[in-house]
Amino acid sequence: MTALSEKIISDVVCTICGTGCDDLQIRIKDGKIIEAKNACAVSISKFLEQHAQRYSSPMIRRDGELKCASFDEAVCKAATILSESRYPILLGWSLTSAEATCIGVELAELVGGVVDNNTGFCHGPGLIGAQDIGVSTCTLGEVRHRADVVVYWGANPIHAHPRHIARYTVLSKGRFREGRKERKMIVVDVRKTDTARMADLFIQIEPNGDYELLSALRMAVKGEELEQQVIAGVSSERIEELADLLVRCEFGIIFYGVGLTMSRGKSRNLDAALSLVRDLNRSTKFLIMPMRGHFNVCGANEVTSWITGYPYAVDLSRGYPFYNPGETSAVDILSRRECDAALVVSSDPVSHLPYSVAKYLSEIPLVTMDPHVTATTMVSDVAFPTAIMGIEASGSLYRMDGVVLECKKLLDPPQSVKSDVDVLRAILDRVKSLKGA
Amino acid sequence: MKEITFRLKRPLKVPVDASCISPDILGDKTNEEILSFELWEGNRKIHLSDIFTVEGDAHTSSDDLEIRLVGDMKKVRRIGRGMMTGSIEVKGDVGMHLGEEMASGRIIVNGNAGSWVGSRMKGGSIEIHGNAGDFVGSAYRGSRNGMKGGSIVIEGNAGAEIGCWMRGGLVRVKGKTGTFPGVHMSNGTVLVEGDCEGRAGAQMTGGKVVVLGSLPSILPSFVFEEIRDKVKVTEEKLSGPFYTFLGDVNENGSGRLSVKVSSNPQLKWCESYVETLED
Amino acid sequence: MSELLVRNGYVYDPLNRINGEKMDIAIRNGIVVDDVGSSAKLVDASGMIVMPGGVDIHSHIAGSKVNLARMIRPEDHERDVESRTSITRAGVGRSIPSTFTTGYRYARMGYTTVFEPATPPMKTRHTHEELNDTPMIDKGCFPLLGNNWFVMDYLREGKLEECAAYVAWMLKATKGYAIKLVNPGGVEAWGWGKYLTGLDDPVPRFDITPREIVRGLCKINTYLNLPHPIHVHTNDLARAGNYETTIKTMDCVRDLYHGGKPIIHITHVQFTGRSGTDWINVASGAPEIADYVNKHEHVDIDIGQIIFTDTTTMTADGSFQFLLHLISGNKWANTDVEAETGGGIVPFHYKKSNYVNCIQWGIGLELALMIKDPWRVQMTTDHPNAGPFTEYPRIIAWLMSREARGRVARKLNKSAHRRLDVPGLDREYSFYEIAIATRAATAKTLGLKQKGHLGLGADGDISIYAIDPTTINPSRQYKLVRRAFRKAVYTIKEGKILVKNGEVVDTVPGKTFWVDPKVPQDTYEKMLSNLERKFEDYYTMQMSNYPIGEEYLLASKKIETVAGS
Repeated sequence: MTALSEKIISDVVCTICGTGCDDLQIRIKDGKIIEAKNACAVSISKFLEQHAQRYSSPMIRRDGELKCASFDEAVCKAATILSESRYPILLGWSLTSAEATCIGVELAELVGGVVDNNTGFCHGPGLIGAQDIGVSTCTLGEVRHRADVVVYWGANPIHAHPRHIARYTVLSKGRFREGRKERKMIVVDVRKTDTARMADLFIQIEPNGDYELLSALRMAVKGEELEQQVIAGVSSERIEELADLLVRCEFGIIFYGVGLTMSRGKSRNLDAALSLVRDLNRSTKFLIMPMRGHFNVCGANEVTSWITGYPYAVDLSRGYPFYNPGETSAVDILSRRECDAALVVSSDPVSHLPYSVAKYLSEIPLVTMDPHVTATTMVSDVAFPTAIMGIEASGSLYRMDGVVLECKKLLDPPQSVKSDVDVLRAILDRVKSLKGA
Repeated sequence: MKEITFRLKRPLKVPVDASCISPDILGDKTNEEILSFELWEGNRKIHLSDIFTVEGDAHTSSDDLEIRLVGDMKKVRRIGRGMMTGSIEVKGDVGMHLGEEMASGRIIVNGNAGSWVGSRMKGGSIEIHGNAGDFVGSAYRGSRNGMKGGSIVIEGNAGAEIGCWMRGGLVRVKGKTGTFPGVHMSNGTVLVEGDCEGRAGAQMTGGKVVVLGSLPSILPSFVFEEIRDKVKVTEEKLSGPFYTFLGDVNENGSGRLSVKVSSNPQLKWCESYVETLED
Repeated sequence: MSELLVRNGYVYDPLNRINGEKMDIAIRNGIVVDDVGSSAKLVDASGMIVMPGGVDIHSHIAGSKVNLARMIRPEDHERDVESRTSITRAGVGRSIPSTFTTGYRYARMGYTTVFEPATPPMKTRHTHEELNDTPMIDKGCFPLLGNNWFVMDYLREGKLEECAAYVAWMLKATKGYAIKLVNPGGVEAWGWGKYLTGLDDPVPRFDITPREIVRGLCKINTYLNLPHPIHVHTNDLARAGNYETTIKTMDCVRDLYHGGKPIIHITHVQFTGRSGTDWINVASGAPEIADYVNKHEHVDIDIGQIIFTDTTTMTADGSFQFLLHLISGNKWANTDVEAETGGGIVPFHYKKSNYVNCIQWGIGLELALMIKDPWRVQMTTDHPNAGPFTEYPRIIAWLMSREARGRVARKLNKSAHRRLDVPGLDREYSFYEIAIATRAATAKTLGLKQKGHLGLGADGDISIYAIDPTTINPSRQYKLVRRAFRKAVYTIKEGKILVKNGEVVDTVPGKTFWVDPKVPQDTYEKMLSNLERKFEDYYTMQMSNYPIGEEYLLASKKIETVAGS
């Protein structure tokens, strides 16, 4: 598909965040993307800069330096590292296709390792909370059609999910809601973000006070009197005002971000939020949804669940799936220095995780796969350049509400760069032959 | 008396699943049989002899077996899992899931323990002379079946969510704890003798959480009940006075959170409710 | 060319009226043929029962709510694990097994075809991804249409032909097999947290009733000549005396029947077969329902039999699931889907000490024993709602043995025992009738011409069980029967031996069946332009991204029909 003429591809699925916009119109000329209509500020650079910071040859570390290698050599080395390891971790999966994750889980099973994805240091608390309480949720269209109250808690969609509000919530038009004037927007955050400036009601909460505020809200929703005047920096009157709004709405939803999942309490914050939403269903219709950041972390959860029974942090070292976040989550394994090899797919933990964890990753045999050169690439022992999902490779992704979208291949990757699926399959086949399977 | 000693003979890196190290399983085996027991070291199956030497004799009498473990067992998990007889003593640190689902017997650790000590325990006793991690006496993920009976005593500090979904028994921490002691508990007692980071008794429906040290605040879903002179923890009567709260109201709970008055001047506000009740 | 000969077994093939006859079955290239050459692989079935591979008409095994249930119930899987072998993938059970494990466990019991009965159309790509990872069985899924906005709008406007064209488009777009209705109209009401009662409450803001939805889709089903009737989970599932709604639903399409095979299939009737006015006096409505089914040939049902165990309820009936949460206090998940349907999940433990659970247990068996025509009452547990599918052998034993039923009945809650008819029922199923209830009838009602029988041209799907019907008395030796049906001696799929003595020895991916109905071109185009106009209004997804391509299925098996006549 390296046509010299211009072409336009419509209904393209964006592969940046969990918003899952699928109405992008991409214009391609001379094998390059020159326009991305409907793409938001965050995604437009991904499309237009698709060629930046790429490398085209696999690399192997020799004498302390990363040097170009053939694909077969790199596959051999990667397969050897993983199959000889006694406790490897296979991490990432959130910025690649569901098909790739399927192969990744099989690889983890074969090499007896731990397969984990970004959930562990992002939205894991929501899943753990749901394992205790359950979760009342829906697809995004339900919000567009019905919601008259929308709460953003610890989330700043104007920056992190730019089209969320216009496509699905307060500014959208649904079958039963005309738009902004028929909806109330509430923001709960530690500071007045740009999203908060749009809100009809902004609740400024003391940092790390989410659990207390949710507990107080639950009391107010139940009609119980609050003994304390101020909770998490919010007056009891304000809390009662908020509770009243929530109870009296016709259809409400809380969208939450890492402001809730990563502040003190983590999964118990979510326990409280999920319990609040559950309690509200006795009076009205209320739901909750996580604002997933990576475009296919949901997909990673779904694939890992249907194959192993568990959504992330799955330890397959004893031949069968075992799940126990804190014990089997990659970040914790890395911080305890327990794994002896790692495969990282489309993720850059060296840049994003604590220094001690990043340092340990650089000390163990490390195989990485990424379209771009990242800090993690630089400390790898084997590195594969890969095609960008949704631009240079097709595949399916799961939106933040679990709806599956099929991403198209828009143009070819750089010369000799393969898709995640092809690289993983090659490694898997090689491991199978090493193990005599 | 029947006792055997395992000595760790090399350092460990990847986790070891040692659920075979339990008096019930090893009780009537010869040393040779014991050493050939299989366990997981990461993704490889090894024999006990690969990492331990064994002294003593399990086979001598029909008494319950006493197992001693010497060395840094931080990576060794599930020691004493489901045990129903005998005792285990660890001279060193020990890994996660110590005494998980234990029903009877005794475990002593002269060092620190990892998380999930006594998870789902039904009876027996566990003593940790050092610190313990998170989730002492807890349930498994998604389950409500936390510790049901027995006692766990931590001489040092413990982490977060001790007694999570607890249904009975006693967890006693002589040092400090992290947040959420007794979260979702329905019965049993959690005693924190040192300071507690916060959120004590969150979402409890029954049982007792007692904090002798400081607790920065009380959750809004707990209502002040009374000031008590003493609080009973199993057979012991602890001297107060204590601010006692009923909760968690959000769960229609009838659990009791008792916090020592002398350690918690910041909770004086609840005394205004005493006057109200008396009015 | 591969050939297989199953020799000397006692064959039960009700669709071809074979009742325990000792005979050989020959398979060439996966199809049953007259005979095979001397080099054919031999399977000795002497002294054993040979049946067509099991066909499960209703089992929740794949898709978004099944997977959400997996995610939120780690405690369901923890104790029941399967390690990887050189042939099989690792996985977990119990009530919501992982996909590979699902396939293996069905195959171990001798099942070779299973249908996922409720897929939200917008999320059906997910269902197929999971079905692709469910080996060993042929499969398909039923898209949920009973609360679909386009359907409700069309039916309200009386545009039946255009609605039929839409349904045809939907089946093709979702690669679905049959029209599924769950609490028709009621799940749209639940979109607002509201409930409907009976068949004639209008759906809020849609001005159409459940009765109209059921009748409309029934007519469309007939018009499109779909292989399976409309598959209906009736309204009022949570109501104590809901057997009346079940009968009314069956009756509301009676006038549309003109002979031939049934035009409505009511599923898991146990759940909607209760009499009484509240949870204290609830009792069995099975006698009334059985009476109706006995007198009316336009209906067939499956039972949804209760197993006393810890399991997981999951349905598209979101309103019911919330009520079950309120009753049980167990965790609760809810999954509404825009413009289409809803869903809910609640773990549940059926106990012999619980009066209502015992009544439920009785209802399923009473239906199976009181409905005379074995072709119209099929065996399911609505897996995992009433129990895991791995417990089917237990139900087989109950159906075949009064004594087996009695052993359970004696341990029931005493009041329930007194109020049920089942302790006094003598009827015992024969092997022939078991073959009907678990293979022949289900294949027949699904319209799968090559399944559920071993006649010439059938798929070579065979299960062989270690029971000698000439020496075993299933009435007394029900434990042996139960054991035998748990582990097939052989499970053969299209001539390939997949299971031997209950162990998986080989795997196949299995085919996915779907239906592509052809409607008049001009109606289709009119429907399409209406759809294009409205799609963006109703969905948060572009219309061009909605249909699932055939290449998405690992192995596609299309069934074409032509509308009309």
